[in-house]
Amino acid sequence: MDEAQKYLSDRLLSEEVPVTYRLLSRALNIRVNAAKQKLYEFYKSSNASKAGSVHATYLVYGSKAQDRQPDSGDTDMDGSAPEHEPLSDHVPTRTVTIVAEDKLKEVLAEYEQVSSFHIYSLAPFPQRDLSILSDVSKSLSEYKNAEDTAKAFDTYGIITNPQARKRDRKGRPQIPAPSAPKPVAKQESQAATPKSCQPEKVKPEAKETPSTSAEATPSSSAGKKPPATLKRGASGGIMQSFAKAAAKPPKPKVKPEPKAKDEDTSMVLSDDGEADEEDVLPPLKTVDLEALKRTRKEREEALLRMMQDPEDDVKEEAKREDEPSDEEMEEASEPEPEPEPEPEPEQQPKEEKEPTEVVSNSSNGRRRGKRRVMKKKRILDDQGYMVTIQEAAWESFSEDEAPALTPAAAKATPTPTPASSTQKAKKGAAGKGGSQGSIMSFFSKK
Amino acid sequence: MVKLEDISSLLEVPAHLPHKPPVRAPSAYKPLHSYALDKNRSYKQQYGDMYFLRLAKIKPAVEEVAAKAWQDTQIGGERAKRVDRVLDVRQGELCWVAGTVYMDMKLKPNILEDVSKDRWLSAPISSQKYYSDDGSDQTMLEDDSGRVRLVGDLLSTIPLVTGCIIAVMGTENTHGEFEVIDIKVPDLAPQPERWALSKAPSAGGKAKSEDTEMTDSPSEGGGKKIAIVSGLSFSGTDASYDLELNLLLEYLLGEALGPEEQAGVSQISRLIIAGNSISTTAAKDTDDDDDEVKKRAQKKYGYDASAYNPIPSQLFDEFLSELLPSIPVTLLPGAQDPANASYPQQPIHTAMFPISRAYAADATAASASQPGWFDTVTNPWEAEVEGWRVLGTGGQNVDDVFKYVESDDRLGMMEAMCRWRCCAPTAPDTLWSYPFQEDDPFVLKSCPHVYFVGCQPEFATKVIHGPDGQSVRLIAVPSFSKSKEFVLVDTETLEVSKVRITSR
Repeated sequence: MDEAQKYLSDRLLSEEVPVTYRLLSRALNIRVNAAKQKLYEFYKSSNASKAGSVHATYLVYGSKAQDRQPDSGDTDMDGSAPEHEPLSDHVPTRTVTIVAEDKLKEVLAEYEQVSSFHIYSLAPFPQRDLSILSDVSKSLSEYKNAEDTAKAFDTYGIITNPQARKRDRKGRPQIPAPSAPKPVAKQESQAATPKSCQPEKVKPEAKETPSTSAEATPSSSAGKKPPATLKRGASGGIMQSFAKAAAKPPKPKVKPEPKAKDEDTSMVLSDDGEADEEDVLPPLKTVDLEALKRTRKEREEALLRMMQDPEDDVKEEAKREDEPSDEEMEEASEPEPEPEPEPEPEQQPKEEKEPTEVVSNSSNGRRRGKRRVMKKKRILDDQGYMVTIQEAAWESFSEDEAPALTPAAAKATPTPTPASSTQKAKKGAAGKGGSQGSIMSFFSKK
Repeated sequence: MVKLEDISSLLEVPAHLPHKPPVRAPSAYKPLHSYALDKNRSYKQQYGDMYFLRLAKIKPAVEEVAAKAWQDTQIGGERAKRVDRVLDVRQGELCWVAGTVYMDMKLKPNILEDVSKDRWLSAPISSQKYYSDDGSDQTMLEDDSGRVRLVGDLLSTIPLVTGCIIAVMGTENTHGEFEVIDIKVPDLAPQPERWALSKAPSAGGKAKSEDTEMTDSPSEGGGKKIAIVSGLSFSGTDASYDLELNLLLEYLLGEALGPEEQAGVSQISRLIIAGNSISTTAAKDTDDDDDEVKKRAQKKYGYDASAYNPIPSQLFDEFLSELLPSIPVTLLPGAQDPANASYPQQPIHTAMFPISRAYAADATAASASQPGWFDTVTNPWEAEVEGWRVLGTGGQNVDDVFKYVESDDRLGMMEAMCRWRCCAPTAPDTLWSYPFQEDDPFVLKSCPHVYFVGCQPEFATKVIHGPDGQSVRLIAVPSFSKSKEFVLVDTETLEVSKVRITSR
């Protein structure tokens, strides 16, 4: 008694469940064609010893007589078509039929020519309801070998395709990066930062910095600052970096936490059609809970700061004028001369923005200069339609020193003078580098 | 008539079982991204531009046809003269003019009516047809200058739908209506040569396995094929055609059938799934006759998480993941698939296929240079497959045109679209569409060799011919869940055959 015989008698006669050729092929690791053969042998042998002990379903494949080109005299089966000329060409039709053995004769009678004929399944009982067979095929998944489909295909005799290609997910995160700092970064990420949930995406150098700073300043209030400031220095503005974040993976992601957060929440709804690379989480390493909590807090705070980001200078300016705050008072009392907090060249690299103001003269208590504003312009185009366009224009202004100071303070907070920076520090922008902070101070101000 | 005795030999051991399983024929495949939309598209613009663009693009073609046909036409001693704009038609003058057709049908949903009645939600379309046979439907011809009503017996013989561009010859009568004597359509667009965009495998420079394939493929009989199936309708509730779906899988994988037939199946180089792969009629078994249920199922944005059934897409994913190692798959979305509702439908997001998407194109890498092995594409979709220009849709365009006309002749509608040079003429009027601004992609710049439409009530195919020797193979692909049929197209002869799967 060979293996197939044993398996089949187990399944059919003891367990009384049907077996299809596919199941047999998977169970014994043989070709499907061989499995069909085994089924037939078993069917013959067991029915020879005891008639009717095993029942078969057959698969018949071929062309049927009714699908033949209808001749002039032929009446169609449904009788509706021949009335008017056929709208469609007649095409050769081949039919696959699964049929239980008791109906085999009548089914075969419909066929004109049969090119394939084999046993589809065996069952210990007459198969009235063929839908049982689809349940059998569901059990095939147990035998599925996800790793090596090509080899499995070869084993089972499925048509192989040498051209088949998968995208290599594992290759993706290896963004060419200097390999030297990598081990350090990894270590740290495991020790202190919770970023291990997306370690591959983050460039090592980038990861290193926030994590070290987080270590250096363990107090949570100070610890949450550095990522934000750092990132300000590297690229312009949180908003900008968000806009670009998804599009440019190789860009150093200096601040991964808010980015990830953002993608999780707001970008979920985008139907940009691209595959979500980020949703495949690398296996979570053992992250210590404390660190996880901290990141979440950092993220939330970063997000909150972002929400408060007024973004456009105009609004900010207006707000400033609304609240001639203590800051202004304090700053007014500073001994500094006015022109100094206008460090145009310094501001530029930091914000990567065009200056919105150029102060030409600020002597004798008045400030004069030009500032950039968006102007609405309404014109008639060549087709006679009214078109409103917005364009940037320079507008000269001249204003009193005091109100002028506020926008100046607003924009020029990064004054390198010790006095103002300490003041900033007092207002909660602690842990921030003196040279970089600019807009950051806005966030924590309210 | 086959007797069991005649074929029982097939059950016996074949003389020799092939040592190696057959190897799948390679697929030459170059998708064109004609219907891909910008990811950051805006929906703020108006639809009017689409009609303008379409008229601007097709009018020269139809005018050329019309000028050739009518330049020497004289009726009653009067020569037909060309008129530039609809508004310039003078009463009593024999003339011809080109413009866009607009069908005024009382059963057709009308956006102006909705706006005037302050209805801002589009009601579900209840009627199966916009066409009414009481003669109340009106045909108009319009362009950017104005609109004229067309009358005449000819109109009842030539089906027209909103949005197609035609030229009409005739005169304006005293009622201000245009009496149509003859109608011309732009007819088939120029057809590219085979292998216009991709290189023929015989020309070298393709995959290595190609030369071996070239030698043995003609001997296999029939050569390479493409399989097209639509309406798989994987369902979480309806298991009535599970067995057929399994058989389809076994057939395509070359597991079913005998060794010779398996070798034939290995010549099927690609599977195209043309829409409606997932069935959304989840509430079917609870309340079949109640319209309310249907309406709820159609609600696209009233998302109810408790009603969401992930099983259909899981089943479909599993189905694909079993096929993909053996055969490349192109997936078009259909009306029921999880893609955007308006034409052109954008590819189904690969996030829907957690298992199969390993075979999808890598979004970041050189996806432009190499299409995904599992290619989720737009609907409509244009590609060069085995050198042939193929245009395929999920069927909504034909289904919508079907509502305008009296006949059931789906092939006729497909033919008409080719001759109108527009694969979705009723967009944006009754077929939801993206408001295009710069280009109307539905205009067929080039004539396809194969035009298939998925999710149709029954299989049909024919070949149509154009004036410049173009020939187009039209295929209406039936829904597999209903007909249990799928289509095979021979990639050398473009002959079509179909395979039906039944169970007794």
